[in-house]
Amino acid sequence: MKFSQSATVPAGREPLWQLLMDIPRVATCLPGVEGVEQLDGETYQGTLKVRVGPIALSLQGKIVLEEKDQAAWRAALRAEAEDRRVAGAMRGKSTMELKELSAGETELTVETDVNILGKIGEFGQPIIRKKADQMLTKFIDNIKKELAAN
Amino acid sequence: MIAFDYRTPGSLEEAYADLKELGSDGKIIAGGTALVIMMKQQLLQPTCVISLRNVAGLSDVAENNGSVHIGGLVTHAHLDASDVVQGKLPVLGATYHHVATQRVRTMATVGGGLAHADPNQDPPPTFIALGASFELSSAGGTRSVAAEDFFSDYYETVLEPEEIVTGVSVPLMGANSGAAYLKFLPRSADDYATVSAAAVVTLDDAKTTIKDVRIAMGSVNTTPVRATASEDVLRGQPLKAEGLREAGEKAKDHTDPVSDFRGSGSYKTQMAAVFVRRALEQAIANAG
Repeated sequence: MKFSQSATVPAGREPLWQLLMDIPRVATCLPGVEGVEQLDGETYQGTLKVRVGPIALSLQGKIVLEEKDQAAWRAALRAEAEDRRVAGAMRGKSTMELKELSAGETELTVETDVNILGKIGEFGQPIIRKKADQMLTKFIDNIKKELAAN
Repeated sequence: MIAFDYRTPGSLEEAYADLKELGSDGKIIAGGTALVIMMKQQLLQPTCVISLRNVAGLSDVAENNGSVHIGGLVTHAHLDASDVVQGKLPVLGATYHHVATQRVRTMATVGGGLAHADPNQDPPPTFIALGASFELSSAGGTRSVAAEDFFSDYYETVLEPEEIVTGVSVPLMGANSGAAYLKFLPRSADDYATVSAAAVVTLDDAKTTIKDVRIAMGSVNTTPVRATASEDVLRGQPLKAEGLREAGEKAKDHTDPVSDFRGSGSYKTQMAAVFVRRALEQAIANAG
């Protein structure tokens, strides 16, 4: 399942880049993410709590920052997580690109390709895309707030 | 299935107390046709299942003061066979008659089905078109919510964790009114609809003008939806085939279906227009 979102963030490219590369800090901008910590180098672990209809998921897993190319203002991360109680797992990859619009404005484009596996995937397919869209919208809102606060 | 405790409260008050004590670890079970499947798939894993089987007073269908009241524990089969429903609201009996299979209808309850809130279910569009309201009860009292305001998202409703759907109230249709529920079933008779549409039409005395109309659809969005844009092109207008076609087209404004093995999203949107028009035609024929 692929989706793309872009938004104009009222901040310069450099501070936005710094925020996005600070995984534990940027993770707090994604609703439902808890306890993100660095394991080693570019690998982090954490939990994503999300509701799909009546089902409460607690997805535990890893995030790997696979690409970090500040010269191209481009980064990619891969995430793998599973819920041990509800038979379900997710695997996804996200690519972020930052385009400078002006000194204080940056266009952030996030492209995500995610697979939801197991029963939850069959059950939740209709809603997962909508949920993911809502989460990304909130993520970008929270990033704006985080940058404004600093 | 994961092991769980099982309680059988003898009254609603006891059930409310159980819900309060258990919080999100407790799940109410009535017929169990939906909950048990989700538990077997381990999508839901309540530590305690609270059965309403010993709760009395929620299993009757009765007419009073211009409406039909249906208890939350009335089964689909009971509702379908009810004299009151057959006589006063045949569209509701016909809707429940086409839910899944006889085995499911024997067990599944009206209140349980609504609380489950699968957007593909048959009864919600009919309830919305009929202008029904649902009774949501808790230890704090009972509130009434219009059918169209009850469903909030995919399998989600405005039902609070401590509330139970204890009944449905359906106003009787006025003079010169007709209703229909149509379900597009290209696969098998017991399947969920690819799209479904319900319409209730009230004509003027001369039966040439549409005085009022309510239309709702199932399987076309994350919740059942009322097609107000379709209603707006018909209300107060003379009866014309062209108007019904336009109403069908307008129904597309309310659809955002997902593509699945029952059809692509765009196909379902096209079919929604067709089935809304056909439901209107049949409702008008039933009004005459």
